[in-house]
Amino acid sequence: MGGSPGGPIDKSPHEVEDWERLADAINSALGARGLQSTDEHRRAIESLQNYRDLSYYERWVAATEKLLVQKGVLTDDEISDRAAEIERRWGGT
Amino acid sequence: MSEHHTHEQTTRSPYAARIRAIEALLLEKGVLTEPEVQDSISYMEARSPANGAKLVARAWVDDEFKELLLSDGKAAAAQLGMDPEHPAEFVVVENTPKVHNLIVCTLCSCYPRAILGRPPDWYKSFEYRSRAVREPRAVMREFGYEPPEGVEVVVHDSTADVRYMVLPMRPPDTEDLGEEELARLVTRDSLVGASVPRASATTP
Amino acid sequence: MGRDLSYGPGDRVRVLPAEKPGHVRTPGYLKGKSGWIEAVIGRFPNPEDLAYGLAGRPERNLYKVGFRQADLWDDYEGPAEDILYADVYEHWLEPGEGGTA
Repeated sequence: MGGSPGGPIDKSPHEVEDWERLADAINSALGARGLQSTDEHRRAIESLQNYRDLSYYERWVAATEKLLVQKGVLTDDEISDRAAEIERRWGGT
Repeated sequence: MSEHHTHEQTTRSPYAARIRAIEALLLEKGVLTEPEVQDSISYMEARSPANGAKLVARAWVDDEFKELLLSDGKAAAAQLGMDPEHPAEFVVVENTPKVHNLIVCTLCSCYPRAILGRPPDWYKSFEYRSRAVREPRAVMREFGYEPPEGVEVVVHDSTADVRYMVLPMRPPDTEDLGEEELARLVTRDSLVGASVPRASATTP
Repeated sequence: MGRDLSYGPGDRVRVLPAEKPGHVRTPGYLKGKSGWIEAVIGRFPNPEDLAYGLAGRPERNLYKVGFRQADLWDDYEGPAEDILYADVYEHWLEPGEGGTA
């Protein structure tokens, strides 16, 4: 990354969304509990196939998910099922 | 799609539901508790560049404090009631008439979050991370700053356990300003070194 | 991967050019480059092991290493005095030319 060519820097601020705050918080809380380390999380981010297609916090969530599944704390299915339920609820019908 | 959807909802990331799902599951399974999650949210909300501005303003008016800030950043922060819990080292580097410092984390987005809170989006961007090490002067120009003739530019890539913050130079003609007024001149971007503090209270 | 020698400020060092799979905390742009030890930062668990849930022991020496920007980039725009510092673990360093170990 360092030294590669790059375009102009976008200095526009973006309001942190609640889900992004939550991503930060879950990450720290898991770290404080010793369930994942900063370095594991970084490594998980780097290993994402679609790294360049995701936003900063999307990468964070994807990495946290990857680690939780790898460590057997949660399963991919549980997360997907619950996420779908939540989306349905937000859909508002 | 129902017409009741707001623009925000139609562009919401799919990861928003995923992190809420993860939170719900972790709480249900007792892996984390509600208070822990809340405390974690509060921790980050309590931190902002205002903390950095306070450290800088104090260093500008108090030479002993400045020495402490430059030799033991965490102790200096603790002295002003900040709580830099995180075990990483916190190092403050000084801008002088000969040296201007710029901080970057090319590998991820290391930043002194325990003091300053979340880094600006631009700091985390691929563009900043790739260019700051190779063309720091061009990057600073994009922030409207050009170091004077003869000033050396020093880039710090925080590749390991140290988190860096810049102690900018005190703007000229500010002798009669109090600490709080001085702190208001210190911008978030000047603490990274992308630019310098405002010259006066009326400068944008 | 590199001998665990102890360096002191002023020592000339070179970052190993090695390609190492997995999580690596030494940026690609520094590999094979020569610089000097600016400061000894301290001893920390090896983050490259921590990244895989290992204990990261024994702890490794971490150094603040200085490089002339002109040595890092052929097309560097700026005076010869411009510098870049990176924090590099001992196992990624070897003694540089004319350096002592």
